[in-house]
Amino acid sequence: MNPFTLVRLPTLDAARERVSAEPQRRTFRAGGIDLLDRMKEGLDAPDELIELHAIAGEHGARMRGIAATEDGGWRIGALVTLGQLAGYDDLPPAYGAIKDAAGNAATPSIRNGATVGGNLLQRPRCWYFRHSDLLCLKKGGYECLAVSGDNRFNAILGGGPSFIVHPSSLGSAVVALDAKVTIAGESGLRTIPADQLFAPPTVDPTREHTLAPGEVLVSVDLPPALPGQRSAYHFAKEKQSQDWPLAEASVRCTVEGGVIQDLRVALGHVAPIPWRSKEAEDVLEGAAPSAEVFAKAAQAALSVAEPLEGNAYKVPLAQGVLRYALHFATSTPLPA
Amino acid sequence: MSGPSPASAPDAILLRTSINGDAVSVAVEPHHTLLEVLRYQLDLIGSKQGCDKGDCGACTVQIDGKPALACLTLAVHAEGRAVTTVEGLGDAHGGCHPLQDAFDRHDAAQCGFCTPGILMSADSLLRRNPRPVSRDEVREALAGNLCRCTGYTKILDAVVDASEVMHGHGSDDAKKEVAQ
Amino acid sequence: MSEHDEPMPTHETGGHVGGVHRKVDAMERMRGVTRYTDDLKLPRMLHAKIKRSPHPHAKILSIDASAALAMPGVHAVITGRDLPTPYGIIPWTPDETALCVEKALYVGDGIACVAADDEDTAIEALEKIDVKYEVLEPLYDPEQALERRDNQINPYSRKGNLSKKVLLEFGDIDGTLEQSDLVVEGDYFFEGTTHAAIEPHCAVAHVEPSGVLTVWSATQVSHYLHRELAKVLDMPANRIRVIQPPLGGAFGGKSEPFDLEFCVAKLALMTGRPVKLLYTREEVFYSHRGRHPMKMKYRTGFTKDGKITAVDAFTILDGGAYSSFGLVTTYYSGQLLCAPYGFDAYRFHSRRAYTNKPACGPKRGHGSVQPRFAIECQIDKAAEQLGLDPIDMRLHNDIGPNAQTVNEFRVGSNGFSECLRRVRASSSWDAKRKELPYGRGLGVAGSTYISGTNYPIYPNDMPQAAVQITLDRSGRARVFSGANDIGQGSNTMLAVIAGNELGLPLEHIRVLSADTDLCPVDLGAYSSRITLMVGNACLEAAQKLRRQVTTAVGKRWDVPRKRVTLADGQAIDREDPERNVPLAEAFQWAEADEGLLSATGSYNTPKDRHGDYRGGTIGASPAYSFTAHVAEVDVDRSTGIVDVKTIWVAHDCGRALSRKIVEGQMEGSAYMGFAEAIMEQHIVDPGHNGVHPGPSLLDYRLPTFLDTPDLEALIVESPDAQGPYGAKEAGEGPLHPSIPAIANAIYDAVGVRMDSLPFTPPRVLAAIEARAAREKAGELEPHKPTLGGAQETA
Repeated sequence: MNPFTLVRLPTLDAARERVSAEPQRRTFRAGGIDLLDRMKEGLDAPDELIELHAIAGEHGARMRGIAATEDGGWRIGALVTLGQLAGYDDLPPAYGAIKDAAGNAATPSIRNGATVGGNLLQRPRCWYFRHSDLLCLKKGGYECLAVSGDNRFNAILGGGPSFIVHPSSLGSAVVALDAKVTIAGESGLRTIPADQLFAPPTVDPTREHTLAPGEVLVSVDLPPALPGQRSAYHFAKEKQSQDWPLAEASVRCTVEGGVIQDLRVALGHVAPIPWRSKEAEDVLEGAAPSAEVFAKAAQAALSVAEPLEGNAYKVPLAQGVLRYALHFATSTPLPA
Repeated sequence: MSGPSPASAPDAILLRTSINGDAVSVAVEPHHTLLEVLRYQLDLIGSKQGCDKGDCGACTVQIDGKPALACLTLAVHAEGRAVTTVEGLGDAHGGCHPLQDAFDRHDAAQCGFCTPGILMSADSLLRRNPRPVSRDEVREALAGNLCRCTGYTKILDAVVDASEVMHGHGSDDAKKEVAQ
Repeated sequence: MSEHDEPMPTHETGGHVGGVHRKVDAMERMRGVTRYTDDLKLPRMLHAKIKRSPHPHAKILSIDASAALAMPGVHAVITGRDLPTPYGIIPWTPDETALCVEKALYVGDGIACVAADDEDTAIEALEKIDVKYEVLEPLYDPEQALERRDNQINPYSRKGNLSKKVLLEFGDIDGTLEQSDLVVEGDYFFEGTTHAAIEPHCAVAHVEPSGVLTVWSATQVSHYLHRELAKVLDMPANRIRVIQPPLGGAFGGKSEPFDLEFCVAKLALMTGRPVKLLYTREEVFYSHRGRHPMKMKYRTGFTKDGKITAVDAFTILDGGAYSSFGLVTTYYSGQLLCAPYGFDAYRFHSRRAYTNKPACGPKRGHGSVQPRFAIECQIDKAAEQLGLDPIDMRLHNDIGPNAQTVNEFRVGSNGFSECLRRVRASSSWDAKRKELPYGRGLGVAGSTYISGTNYPIYPNDMPQAAVQITLDRSGRARVFSGANDIGQGSNTMLAVIAGNELGLPLEHIRVLSADTDLCPVDLGAYSSRITLMVGNACLEAAQKLRRQVTTAVGKRWDVPRKRVTLADGQAIDREDPERNVPLAEAFQWAEADEGLLSATGSYNTPKDRHGDYRGGTIGASPAYSFTAHVAEVDVDRSTGIVDVKTIWVAHDCGRALSRKIVEGQMEGSAYMGFAEAIMEQHIVDPGHNGVHPGPSLLDYRLPTFLDTPDLEALIVESPDAQGPYGAKEAGEGPLHPSIPAIANAIYDAVGVRMDSLPFTPPRVLAAIEARAAREKAGELEPHKPTLGGAQETA
């Protein structure tokens, strides 16, 4: 790891200004899990790390806390660790998807260090991106090496020109839960829908999010739960711990009068961004929950898939994962 | 990393922390991890480096009682905190923690390289749950610690046994040598 | 004491053998005070790093290290030209050098090595070494490499890219196959896997003012390292000391010299300062020497009632850039297949190819895990076609004890049938297999393995193992052994044997091992040789001392020597147990009579238990272990994820000297086989310059606590006359059946044959989809039709 200076500044504005002045050589550090990994790989070599944990005052408290908001929603600070979120018993079950997603990421020790903000903003796991000897599209090269390489873990939806899958396990949950994110920028705090945080590779293949240099993710804001709101998160992994999912699905809905309403479906680890599936939602909105309709919705969700040479298996696999999530969200028994 | 940079590096920071209950002051470089400082500056070699990337768990220590990966923790992060390493695990138990004794009775350490990290994760589990624990609880708590020798079976036996020795039923039997 | 005890009649025991023991060296490891190699710190120690080739195949045109050498803090740089002597762990195939001399043969091949004040400086210096390459065409596919005589990868090879070829034929293979009632044909692919010991390789070297070089290394074969250091450094072996500090796992991955040991030695000689080199995890992956990928084509003949008649095997081994143990691997790919089943005709044709990849070598179950997968799947297919129970069919083919295999190996004790019976009972095979619904299944497989090989790697007539024991007047025994304890517990095994013979508690025994200055030569921790060979040597030494001590005591008591027994820390009169004396005093009496109490024991292998043909010694062993597994799986039809619930492992280890240690070897082996079956793949990316796509413990998938099945170890004891107290091996054999047992269980669960490893979700799901399509087209009946109907939803 290259030598660097650690800078601790007590205010959010000072930290933000410090990085925006020279974003090429300065960066923020929160949990530092992915950052240190990248620095040890030689992918990043900042001269200066600005410690977000040093931010004090109201902003610091907001970034470190989980709290109910005045409008009846919940706010999860960007510096909350995945372990804290997964173990936060007061968060209502309506938001179960995000807790489950946090609790199933990585390993217990990593969850004790990794933050919500860092999870949403981490860089992709694609091995071509991570390989320090290879120059891929994400690192300023000319092509996405996954296309011609071993792409079994890459995107089947929304790929091109880069075919990474978005690495955040919270991603599908925040999109399905219709969360917003609060960002500190030059003109103060602003709040945007979570799905606008994620940038598809068609915009700029070297970036996965829309934050401007020096901007800071402050919190994830969950809207007030709908009456009867349920949610579920499900995944398939090759390994049950310490592995990235092959596919994951988050679902939010209500079931009123025997039919599904207010449905939001998002898939993870299948596309360069957390993937909202309008196709699945269209099949299910207003339908009575059943194994048959879930299968139909899952087929619809993946009907737009365009797998690469080595990852066609992810199509039926993601269908299976989504079907399970729909069963869990609606408490519909699994078929025998 | 296996060696510290020259101590004369200009931007070394004085780290004041507690390690296994001892107040420690040591000059560290900002880019050195807690693992490097423990192993190569303080000669606390019990925490192992298996991957240096947070993948294997052999470097697991406790920071303020919670398991943490020393290879992904900057040394300066320990400022003002309490760090416990495997060398200090038995301090409150006359030198040998019941987990260490159980691991020894069950032959749960083969090469022993992952064992310090596993003990630190297991101790954290047993302190969060001061009662006999189940095999599934142990599996969850140790899911970030890789062992390549044992197939995990004897480790599960040992952690469950230790929790029973410490907290209740079965403890009398378990205290006896399993050999008999 | 356990119910399985069958004491050997010829031995009186002091109570240790067959018990459960705290290991002699575990507590210090668990307290964090054991010093592994990277925990050594010497005054003024330098740190070394190796510059590695970014090309899979390239000629080195020039190396300019002047800018690196000019850096403050850099003390020396060496290249291949400083250590040009070719070496190889197999003396017949010296085809590698410490660092590349003319060519780099894979991405990661060592080019130059820097010694500097610290690692940061050494890494910076690597960047300043300017290497000019002429890039050559890489070859990744072994079959293609064999055809390409115009593009020879390894410059020392004598036959192009053919590293080794073995063709052996026993009996009338073609005639027998023709007359068989059933011939099963199968194509199998075993993917390469690596050891991934949690401790990375590390070495430290130091030169004393006298010129004696000491190398501490995380090796499992100190003696061979010692020999190769002498050869490559051109130094007499008696000026070199090799010490293996406590080791953090090996599994075959540390069983030959690596570039780092030569580099630290050379740099220490050049600089006069201690030098350490620790591999990064990435370097461990590139250094590899793991399981060979094997492409196997099998034809197996059967009679109607399930007797195997003939086996015809055609195998291509992908060897990577260097030979490593490849000559042996190529033989083992056929030679170790001729038990536990007897058959009359056998042919194997194995070819190992050089490719531009990290070299393959020995991994736990060297060379025989891959063909075992093929043969056990073949048998399962035959059982299904013949309508036989797979366990019955294996019982029917058991070669039995005191048998001779078709390739002329002599088998002594054999507990294979008992292994099958134990897994059958413990898994409730008969009742459960009928009842499991679609998606759930049971599979069985069997295997055999060697307890060391009858011939050492380099030809010599000296003992294969030797142990020296001294007793002193404090009542303590010191056991000196060259054997490498790599975590398998061999130090404890020696203490158990010495303690058993001398009546000493284990805490009064000090085992000093794997230091070439202190210990007799031992060949090292490979081929599961230590318990049998070093155990026998230890037993002989301990028995000599026992005679000296009992003689001295008998003289004092005026009773015959045989009336004196040593147990529980005392010498005791058998006929008058009230008469006893502490061992410390007994040792003093003996020392007074005999002088210093020291005895040696040696072991050499029998030379009449192998085949009388070229290659007939390779794979022949004094004694064979036997194993049977039943695996239970749950296959998720929607995701292709195979959840292995339980593996029942019954293993005939002859005699369990220390039960929990034996169980640990069985569990660890079954885990490692399971891991290879389900997730492990050591590959390079031919599309992107031959790089390893995921050289980390994250991307190279190892099972966690949550993935590993319940492992039920069932010890079977069929004592062998060749082993100490009847003991045979337990460290490698129990790995073999995991993989085919899981493959066969997957078939039982969902009706798909997984003939290629690993059984990852993409492959399993594709196989399930393919079967579903054939069922839909009416080409196949539904698998488990009564129970599987509700599964199809997609």
